[in-house]
Amino acid sequence: MDIIIGLTVKEGTIIATSKAATRGISILKDNDDKTRQLNSHNLIAYTGESGDTVQFAEYIQANIQLSTMRENEIELSPKAVASFVRNQLATSIRSRKPYQVNALIGGYDTKTQKPSLSWVDYLGTYVELPYGAHGYSAFYCTSLFDKHYRKDMTIDEGLKLLQMCVDELNRRMPIDFKGVYVKIVDAEGIRQIDFN
Amino acid sequence: MSRTTVASEYSAEIQSTPIEHRFNPYSDNGGTVLGIAGKDFAVLAGDTRHVTGYNINSRYEPRVFDVGDNIVMTANGFAADGKALIDRFKNQIKWYKFNNGGKKLEMQSAARYIQQLLYGKRFFPYYVSTLIAGLDEEGRGAVYSYDPVGSYEREQCRAGGAAASLIMPFLDNQVNFKNQFIPGTDGKEKRPFEYLSLQEVIELVKDAFNSAAERHIHVGDGLEILIVTKDGVRTEYSPLKRD
Amino acid sequence: MNSIAKQYTQGNVNPVSREINDAMAELATPPQLGLAPTLQLPPISQPTDFLRAHTDDATNPDCKIKIAHGTTTLAFRFQGGIIVAVDSRATAGNWIASQTVNKVIRINPKLLGTMAGGAADCQYWETWLGSQCRLYELRNKERISVAAASKILSNLVYEYKGMGLSMGTMICGVTKKEGPTIFYVDSDGTRLKGDLFCVGSGQTFAYGVLDSDYKWDLTVEEALYLGKRSILAATHRDAYSGGSINLYHVSEEGWEYHGNYNVGDIFWDIKAKEHSFVNVET
Repeated sequence: MDIIIGLTVKEGTIIATSKAATRGISILKDNDDKTRQLNSHNLIAYTGESGDTVQFAEYIQANIQLSTMRENEIELSPKAVASFVRNQLATSIRSRKPYQVNALIGGYDTKTQKPSLSWVDYLGTYVELPYGAHGYSAFYCTSLFDKHYRKDMTIDEGLKLLQMCVDELNRRMPIDFKGVYVKIVDAEGIRQIDFN
Repeated sequence: MSRTTVASEYSAEIQSTPIEHRFNPYSDNGGTVLGIAGKDFAVLAGDTRHVTGYNINSRYEPRVFDVGDNIVMTANGFAADGKALIDRFKNQIKWYKFNNGGKKLEMQSAARYIQQLLYGKRFFPYYVSTLIAGLDEEGRGAVYSYDPVGSYEREQCRAGGAAASLIMPFLDNQVNFKNQFIPGTDGKEKRPFEYLSLQEVIELVKDAFNSAAERHIHVGDGLEILIVTKDGVRTEYSPLKRD
Repeated sequence: MNSIAKQYTQGNVNPVSREINDAMAELATPPQLGLAPTLQLPPISQPTDFLRAHTDDATNPDCKIKIAHGTTTLAFRFQGGIIVAVDSRATAGNWIASQTVNKVIRINPKLLGTMAGGAADCQYWETWLGSQCRLYELRNKERISVAAASKILSNLVYEYKGMGLSMGTMICGVTKKEGPTIFYVDSDGTRLKGDLFCVGSGQTFAYGVLDSDYKWDLTVEEALYLGKRSILAATHRDAYSGGSINLYHVSEEGWEYHGNYNVGDIFWDIKAKEHSFVNVET
């Protein structure tokens, strides 16, 4: 099961995704990036049915990029992006072949200067959370977040908390997930950072 | 005395659950086929028994057909699907000629076209194992074999249908000399491949079918061998066990 | 009004010309707008269930139509390009349908595709991919990239997701801008770029040997042997793999065939040379 974790801190949002791409009993790839950049301040991380995930994320990416072009380089806010994603999944679940994709959207609203984390599932559920996760990683990480998360954390403090989560996952998950890629969305944009 | 008619009894019945019918358009009409390619000839043989379950419907129902352009073809398994496939192919050869000034359809083109016909029904397959035999552009014997949905391969020999599993190992040994070694080499040196003559091949085919008829209930009655050489297609018939 | 008029008007009453028109209609398909040709479906509400009931021998062992399965294929990138190695066995249930299957499809002189899963699915769609790549060349006066070629295939199989296609394939090629590139594409729509893949029922056995001896700096000769040896390991332990080994080397100049090796023959040579396979009595 893929690992998708996210948390918001004072200056930005941190998203972590596992590197392993698994099919059956084999890890086919140990440097798989399960995120797509949507615009300069929005990032989608996804998990779910293989095939559906990338097709859906790239479809969302293309549509958000199209919107940016049409609106004269004015980009959609994190809330607008998340609503669009939710709407697509809500339409899809009522179709003959729904996308089975769960996602986290990390964003930074340049107008209000507020970071955001949107938790969206394949049924079309959308909630804004300070921290969240999908799949089995949620079972391990939410309790850690509940205990250690503070509203006014810095990015460094956030990364320390994330490290605790990843350490616990490494200790308890029955299958190696080959570490995580960590990306930060803040006022500067989106960047990947070195992690463990 | 009042009696209700059968019809009225049924009309009084209330259908509470819908009757479910599983859509099963397939059947197995038995029979077995065999193709061997030689140096400058190819043969395609098939028995002539047609069955459903334990019933023998016919003792002479030809299985192997001359489809034109020096190509012979068989589609063994479910007879209706086989017939449909061969008819479609024969028809297409006809149209190919109309549209191309009577040009001959080469073996490899025929082979690829049959793949298209079979794969066109990928989600509703023809239940057949298909074989074609003829001569390639250099005049060498060629046999192409297919699975039900169109994967194909050119081979030296291939058995298909009910007794394929009985005949194929025999063919591996007698046509490709598999597991044969030169005497006195202590199983070190393999018997090298060499083409069989037409006479040898026909005898081999007869042996194969006689043996298959001994051990398989869906094989028997008659054996029809279609022989392709540069001079055209020739048919030989010989009887098989009729029990 | 128009539709009512049409109902009572016979467009073509001449039976001979109607027959010709019907036959021509089957022959000359309308211009291809979408990606895929039309495939006929059974006339029932759930075509996928129908196909599964009649062809899937895992859920229905005595189903009539057996589709060939079972394979070991591998491809890896190294300093000298790409090595592709495959076995040649096709099985239908316990029956070995063929020991001489060609599981490397030569898409064009620069691109190779491997075949695992449904034999017809791979053979058909990879030759179809060959046509698409040629059309791309004609339209753009430039060879297609491996990334683009593999994406044409993955988008195609994604259209058919859930319909029962079964393929696990590696699209291998070398281009100027990409260098040696391998993409793994499978029938659930996954498309992954990577350095090393093994696909099929014998994949784990091949991974074992390949991972342990793999280095980027392998010479071409060493790499070819490693590919061959990994498939041999898989044919030895996986009953669904066997027959013979087909070897390819892909470089800037295109692919080069490095021969067919019968497992029955090379096994004893390699055992004697390596002093390996000690579980087998000589």
